[in-house]
Amino acid sequence: MKPRANPNWNWLRPEMNMMKNLSVNRDAKWHLNQPYNARHLMFAIAALLILAVTGSRMEVPRMMQETAQGVGYVVGLNEESSVATGVMRIAESIWPLRISEEIEVSRIENFDRNDLPWLSHVEVIESRTPHLNTETLQLEETIESKEVLVKPVGYLAHVLLKMLETLEMALWGTILAVLLSIPLACFAAANYAPNRFIYNLARSTISLFRAIPELVSALFLVLAFGFGPIAGFLALGIHSAGFLGKFYAEDIENADRGPQEALQSIGAGQIKTLWYGVLPQVLPQYIAYTLYILDRNIRMATVIGIVGAGGIGLELKGRFDMFNFDHVGTILVIIFLTVIILDQFSARLRSRLM
Amino acid sequence: MLKFDSVYKRFPDGTEALRNISLHVPKGQFCVLLGPSGAGKSTLLRMLNGLSSPTEGSVHLAGEQITERSVQRLRKRVATVHQQFNLTPRMSVALNVLSGALPQVAHWRAAIGLFPPELRQKACRLLDEVGLTPEHVNRRVSELSGGQQQRVGIARAFMMDPAVLLADEPVASLDPRISRGILELLHRQSRNHDTTVLCSLHQPELAREFGDRIIAVNQGRLVFDGTPEQLTDQVCEDLYHGALAHKHDAPEVDEAACEPELELAAA
Ligand SMILES: Nc1ncnc2c1ncn2[C@@H]1O[C@H](COP(=O)(O)OP(=O)(O)OP(=O)(O)O)[C@@H](O)[C@H]1O
Ligand SMILES: [Mg+2]
Repeated sequence: MKPRANPNWNWLRPEMNMMKNLSVNRDAKWHLNQPYNARHLMFAIAALLILAVTGSRMEVPRMMQETAQGVGYVVGLNEESSVATGVMRIAESIWPLRISEEIEVSRIENFDRNDLPWLSHVEVIESRTPHLNTETLQLEETIESKEVLVKPVGYLAHVLLKMLETLEMALWGTILAVLLSIPLACFAAANYAPNRFIYNLARSTISLFRAIPELVSALFLVLAFGFGPIAGFLALGIHSAGFLGKFYAEDIENADRGPQEALQSIGAGQIKTLWYGVLPQVLPQYIAYTLYILDRNIRMATVIGIVGAGGIGLELKGRFDMFNFDHVGTILVIIFLTVIILDQFSARLRSRLM
Repeated sequence: MLKFDSVYKRFPDGTEALRNISLHVPKGQFCVLLGPSGAGKSTLLRMLNGLSSPTEGSVHLAGEQITERSVQRLRKRVATVHQQFNLTPRMSVALNVLSGALPQVAHWRAAIGLFPPELRQKACRLLDEVGLTPEHVNRRVSELSGGQQQRVGIARAFMMDPAVLLADEPVASLDPRISRGILELLHRQSRNHDTTVLCSLHQPELAREFGDRIIAVNQGRLVFDGTPEQLTDQVCEDLYHGALAHKHDAPEVDEAACEPELELAAA
């Protein structure tokens, strides 16, 4: 080595030499592609075409026109709008919400005036019914007075009870889904399925479960189990087992192979390998999926009652069919509040578990 | 104890990782495996625990050929320290070590994590022996340093009283002092329990110091097999530099050309 003018460079020298030596092929042609090509352009054109065709079939232009009219009506630009009047009529009939309940005393069995239920009182209501007097041919009003038992928050309590039933339906639907999907997922993960046949069977079961909408299976389950929550939570459980099974199976397949190999290589067996090599890796994801499914099941459980499968949906449908929109309003507000509260709750739970 | 019979391994992409390997390692021997990166050391070790199977030839363990049928039984006596540690990241250090004894634990115990007391004691002893402290026990493995993780992997391998111990670069992320301690541990195991150890290393000095026997592979071929004394500096030179040099001719380094850049860097 020849003497260096500046000794500070010397420590760098061996590394520089090594870097030169590592280059395998100095003549190799390096080439980095542009990010876009003709294929991307074709994709863009095809996507636009699809949007144009489906958009016209969905009457998107009419939707935009009427919405614009509605907005114009609200800000006072145009005289009339069918959308705005429709919305306003509904709003008027919903408000004020009704949270009280009135029952005719004469209809209550064993009514005891001295032992009224909590918070309730008896009122006399006069109702006027107009009818034609056949002798004088004049329109007369008869005044009937009825005694009613008024429970000021009776209807609210009823709705809250129904909401609780809805939550319980969602909970049991989710429990059922988890129990069903764990074995399904293990058989539907390519690297843990005992054989090809079981693998395909599990995969198609999962797809089938996912393909049946809750409302459809609930229709049939109501025939089998009668009106009430059983049909509801079974329908929810089956459908969401399809989702969870798919998610779980994919996670099992994509889990890091290293830990699994370590346990396989000592002959720990499939179940123990799943338990110690896979589960700890995928658990946070599992919990996140399950919470998401619970969240979804709660929202779904509120409507599934519409086909008779219990919960608040059944109540909603009944009131809607009787045009009791003030009752409907109460139900909607309760659903809305529940979903918001649960959202907060599950977000907090998730962040704590992660 | 371990026997390779003209083993070839070809990966689906055409890589020939092992070519005509024939080898016999007697019981209780501490055999060190040397070779440059990509030589096929890991592939060779993975033949013995059934994580990989030969394309041609056969591998025998304790006189029995490793086949799809026998592998589940044979691998229960083979412990492995994996090059990438292969620990379960979100699981505690304690459970990771204990999982090394899973084959001998009842399913219900494994399911609820209730390992028998003697295994728990053994896990503590091993963690102590690899130089970890009690405060590490309940941490997640992903919260340990690389070297600490490597030592957890070593403790796990010792949980099962192996007849054969495969160690794939067990000291790759450890400082010189701990490296020495770990190799002493492996050495003691082979002496006291008659365990056959096959250990790949990147440090010829350590190989000379600890190995009963040293073998070297390069580009999938067995290129050296001898005692530590026979592993001369010349052999090492051939193994690491000779091999690289004839694979592609690196151009002479033009020292003068470096000078101006270095001046800039220093300024
Ligand atoms: N799954 C695989 N598919 C294709 N090629 C592979 C695969 N695994 C390893 N190889 C190739 O086989 C050769 C030997 O790899 P191996 O991991 O045995 O090397 P090694 O000696 O352990 O190297 P290192 O010291 O870097 O760990 C390498 O060229 C590698 O690229
Ligand atoms: Mg390797």
